[in-house]
Amino acid sequence: MNKTVNINLAGIFFHIDEDAYQKLQRYLEAIKRSFTDSQGRSEIISDIEARIAELFSERVKHDKQVIGAKEVDEVISIMGQPEDYLVDDEIFEDEPQPAQKRKSSPSKKLFRDTDNSYIGGVASGLGHYLGIDAVWIRLIWLLLAIGSGGTFIFIYILFWVLVPEAVTTADKLTMTGEPVNISNIEKKIKDGFDSVSETVSDVAKNVSDSVSGAAKNVSNAAKKVDIKKQGNNIKSSSRTFFDAIGDIIMFFFTVFAKFVGILLMIVGASALIALIIGLFSLGVTNFIHIPGLDLVDVVNAGNTPIWLVSLLAFFSIGIPFFFLFYLGLKILVNNLKSIGNIAKFTLLGIWILSIIGLIIVGVRQASEHAFNERVVEKQEFYIAPADTLKIKMAHTDSFGNSYRNHNSFKFARNENGDRIIYSSDIEIVVKSTTDSLATLSIEKYADGRDYEKAIERAKNISYNYSINGNEVSLDDYLTTEAKNKFSDQEVDIILYLPEGIIANFSNNTKSFLNYRTYDGNIVSTKHANHYVKIKQDEVECLDCPTEIDVDIHNDNNGIKINDEGIEVKVDSSSLKINRNGVKAGSPEVKVNIDKNGIQVKSDNT
Amino acid sequence: MKIENTKAQMRKGVLEYCILSVLKDDDAYVAEILDTLKDAKLLVVEGTIYPLLTRLKNAGLLNYRWEESTSGPPRKYYGLTETGKLFLKELNTTWSELQNAVNLVTRKKSNKNE
Repeated sequence: MNKTVNINLAGIFFHIDEDAYQKLQRYLEAIKRSFTDSQGRSEIISDIEARIAELFSERVKHDKQVIGAKEVDEVISIMGQPEDYLVDDEIFEDEPQPAQKRKSSPSKKLFRDTDNSYIGGVASGLGHYLGIDAVWIRLIWLLLAIGSGGTFIFIYILFWVLVPEAVTTADKLTMTGEPVNISNIEKKIKDGFDSVSETVSDVAKNVSDSVSGAAKNVSNAAKKVDIKKQGNNIKSSSRTFFDAIGDIIMFFFTVFAKFVGILLMIVGASALIALIIGLFSLGVTNFIHIPGLDLVDVVNAGNTPIWLVSLLAFFSIGIPFFFLFYLGLKILVNNLKSIGNIAKFTLLGIWILSIIGLIIVGVRQASEHAFNERVVEKQEFYIAPADTLKIKMAHTDSFGNSYRNHNSFKFARNENGDRIIYSSDIEIVVKSTTDSLATLSIEKYADGRDYEKAIERAKNISYNYSINGNEVSLDDYLTTEAKNKFSDQEVDIILYLPEGIIANFSNNTKSFLNYRTYDGNIVSTKHANHYVKIKQDEVECLDCPTEIDVDIHNDNNGIKINDEGIEVKVDSSSLKINRNGVKAGSPEVKVNIDKNGIQVKSDNT
Repeated sequence: MKIENTKAQMRKGVLEYCILSVLKDDDAYVAEILDTLKDAKLLVVEGTIYPLLTRLKNAGLLNYRWEESTSGPPRKYYGLTETGKLFLKELNTTWSELQNAVNLVTRKKSNKNE
């Protein structure tokens, strides 16, 4: 009794015995291998299939007849062995084919040869691949493993996991480098049967031997043991031992590797998905003008379209992640079909190009900031020595931004509906002057690719202020047209105030003042909302809370008084008074007064 | 050097010419071409012809049309193209020259041997 398979050969339906089917499939496979794509492989195969179908239909007398091995053999003998299909190209080819050479020495592939394995079959597989006896490879592995301190054990395991096992006969033939044709496959299968039957009988013998050997050993240790047999036993048991250990380790490492593979896949896939979403959300904004979202467009002073930048970024980041994903997949699926060298190199090429592109964009972008130039506008105004000058920010809600943040470039439309950029990058600097006139100097800064561009952009900054009697009112924002792009536009307001006058900086100037005073700036944030008297290169705060900050000390002695508390130190004795309590100490005695009470510790107990 | 190889090479060398000659007057499908060639003992196995036909077709010497068959899959009927006819004509000349040349050489040899 035989199982049958239904096949469709060139559109004709056949019942075929399973073994006959296997034979036919191997035959067609072998023929397929003997052609290259350039020879029109698929067409040749379909022609051959059609012919075989024809030959079969000649042999099938009625519908229910099954095609058996006999019919397949007949057909194969009519059609000829795969070798017969190989037309001598040298005779027919117009030009010599370089592929010819490759055919004469069939390409070998690296597989693990588990038939001749001690551990994972890596060494014997490499041996086949390199054409060296596996013993040498094993020796090298051993030396490397010892010499490298275990690194090569890990590499071995990687090989074990990554290199597929030679399972099918075709694998084994590719591994050993024999050309794949029917006669070789048959030879190999025959060998395989022999070795399997040998192994089976060996194993059976070994099992019975070792069982009886063990029994003998236990019952009578003194009994003479067949040394040769024992040797065989040791070898076979070492093999089975390594096989078992190997299986276990292999299992764990496969699990581990698959886990790593899954991890890589997840990382790769999620990064890719995020990138694709990013690409679309960024790219789309350039085509559909969502107000406020074309911000990036304006930031891009380098005039590079944002979609190009995002595409470049997508490729330069996405391609490595794609390969990560692919690697993960490859770990998961042992004999994963390769994406092909063309695809690989194309991706690599695109990647390199994107990197280069990004560098160019980056350089262009950076060069946009190569020059930082300023334009200065000055206005003098009189202030009577007895008067108090008030400086405040003209608070405008026109652009809905009362919140100040450095470099907060925003995008808006002015009353005419034109697109403008506004920013609150404004700084107030106060200097003293011996002149009787006060001066307000507006310094506008902008970046540009060259001097002219930077100057032009600086000029294009519009900034308003008003001086009204004793009151100076400053805008808290600057604006410029959108075409000037975000190029670090900045306004510095420098106030030269005559010595002797009193100035009051209103509370809303606080965030525009410097955090601290320095040479050339005499008013800082702490002076906001206070009255200050301008002196030579300093101010005197008229209503600031007095600050105590005393710190006098040499190496051993010192005194420190500030809002934290008082600290006195004389040689090895010290006194500290702060909000935690009082702490005094000398080499002999220590006194602590805090929320726990008074503690006195003395060495003279 | 195996005699079998030399024989096979000789046969293969004239195969293209023979295939074109078979198709000279009438279109034929593979089995018919094969029958002619097998009768002439030019072919032992059928497999050889498929790569040849494909190559000749790709070279533009042959074309084919499909025809339904009552007993099996549809058949490819091959025929000569104009280029194929020219090609065949040239091969005819070459072949007769070659035939003469071979005859001449072999006859001379056999004459000498006598």
